[in-house]
Amino acid sequence: MKDWTGVLHLEAEERKGKTVAKNVYFQGAFKVMRPIYHDNSGQACYYLLNPGGGYLDGDRYQMKVSLGENARMTLTTLGATKIYKTPKRYAYQESEITLQAGSYLEFIPDPLIAYQNAKYKQKNVIRMDKTATFLYSDIITPGWSPEGDHFSYETIQLLNEIYIDDELVVYDHIKLKPSQQNLRGLGFMEGYSHLGSMLVVGTQSDSSLLDQLYLAIEMNTNDYKVGLSSLPVPGFTIRVFANSTQVIEKIFSDIHRMISEEWFSRKPSFLRKY
Amino acid sequence: MVIVMESKLLALFQLCDSNFPTGAFSHSYGLESYIQENTVHNSETFSQWLQVYIDEQLIYSDGLASHLVYQALEEDDLARVWKLDRLLTVQNLPRETREGSQRMGERMLELVQSLYDAPVLAIYRKRISAKQSFGHPAIVFTMTAHDIGVPKLTTVLFYLYSVVSSIVQNAVRGIPLGQTAGQKILHDIQPVLIAAVEKIGQMDEEDFGIVSPGIELSQMRHERVNIRIFMS
Repeated sequence: MKDWTGVLHLEAEERKGKTVAKNVYFQGAFKVMRPIYHDNSGQACYYLLNPGGGYLDGDRYQMKVSLGENARMTLTTLGATKIYKTPKRYAYQESEITLQAGSYLEFIPDPLIAYQNAKYKQKNVIRMDKTATFLYSDIITPGWSPEGDHFSYETIQLLNEIYIDDELVVYDHIKLKPSQQNLRGLGFMEGYSHLGSMLVVGTQSDSSLLDQLYLAIEMNTNDYKVGLSSLPVPGFTIRVFANSTQVIEKIFSDIHRMISEEWFSRKPSFLRKY
Repeated sequence: MVIVMESKLLALFQLCDSNFPTGAFSHSYGLESYIQENTVHNSETFSQWLQVYIDEQLIYSDGLASHLVYQALEEDDLARVWKLDRLLTVQNLPRETREGSQRMGERMLELVQSLYDAPVLAIYRKRISAKQSFGHPAIVFTMTAHDIGVPKLTTVLFYLYSVVSSIVQNAVRGIPLGQTAGQKILHDIQPVLIAAVEKIGQMDEEDFGIVSPGIELSQMRHERVNIRIFMS
């Protein structure tokens, strides 16, 4: 289990109000760019990249990110995560994220595009202090095939485990198998093609925030379908169905902005990538 | 006449009876959202919904939990039971269904404790009062069945039936459907339940907690349903 296709370890800490790297290590087909400071808040923004351009048969990626006390980081990718066909073994990525007291991580990867006959499994394990804050989102697209067919990949499995002070508090498990499930149908994506998920955990979160989000998100529309709910710990989760990545990104960035303004009196930066 | 197993099954029947007051009659597990959006409106669409609910959510959560809890009880591994109690609760992301399950679990525990004095039930209740555990009907049911001496597969099958039979009752009231239509669905769903138990037998903990995105989203949306007859 040790032969990784790509490994990335990133350890950051807060020094005089600025988040800086303490240790950076990467090997193989996984890289991180030098941090960018989009404003004067001291929050570092790191872009992850996959020099190979996509995940191939049996590829295995490991990422470890750790934030010291009061460190603040945005972690994103430089483009969509592409999973090419995996005839033999599924492609796999695991991330281990450690957040110490008062730290803040927003982990906002680009959408996932699985090609025809692709199998992909992703596991994120987050271990956080109860005073840390974590914001995460992902978007699963219907994939890509030469014929333009939707849902031609084999499986996409995404697992998120969040621990606060070593106690499991969130377990989020999605496994889509288009060949065995009617993904557009009742109980699955209800006629839509894209699935977005967002998780926010942080002590500042309360039910009034959820009320605000409900007010801010137009629920009465056919462009998308959204569900929100409080987690068993301070925080909430959101699922969105839509027919394009952009619609989901718009909803998530609106929520991200509301949270940033509410909790940190700060506007999130536009993540310029192209 | 030796009718030992029959007497054990009879004891288990009591727990499956929709009159057994656990509060299941007030939970629709997201079905009410579908009813209000008119995507579930007759026995055909309800049967379709029910099949997805069983195959894509129930077996990976309650069903697999019942199976694994039974195994843990066989091995006298209570730490594993408590771990599953936590997993079952924290994988249930929609607040209403999560809190509903906790309430039903506690209510059922209280009831079966007045009927059986299995020590594990008392330990579970103590842990719940001390906020070390959450409480879930799948776990209470399995503990009781194990204590009575009902085999594992029968336990899982009867548990699934108990959940499904109360949902069907709720659908009859909520959609509404005729009583005969309800019984017909309950009859036709039996092979699905048998197949579900077989699937569960081939799973391991890696499969735990997989959700059907649509059903989960509807369970979340139910929080803001204006006029409701169900609590979830």
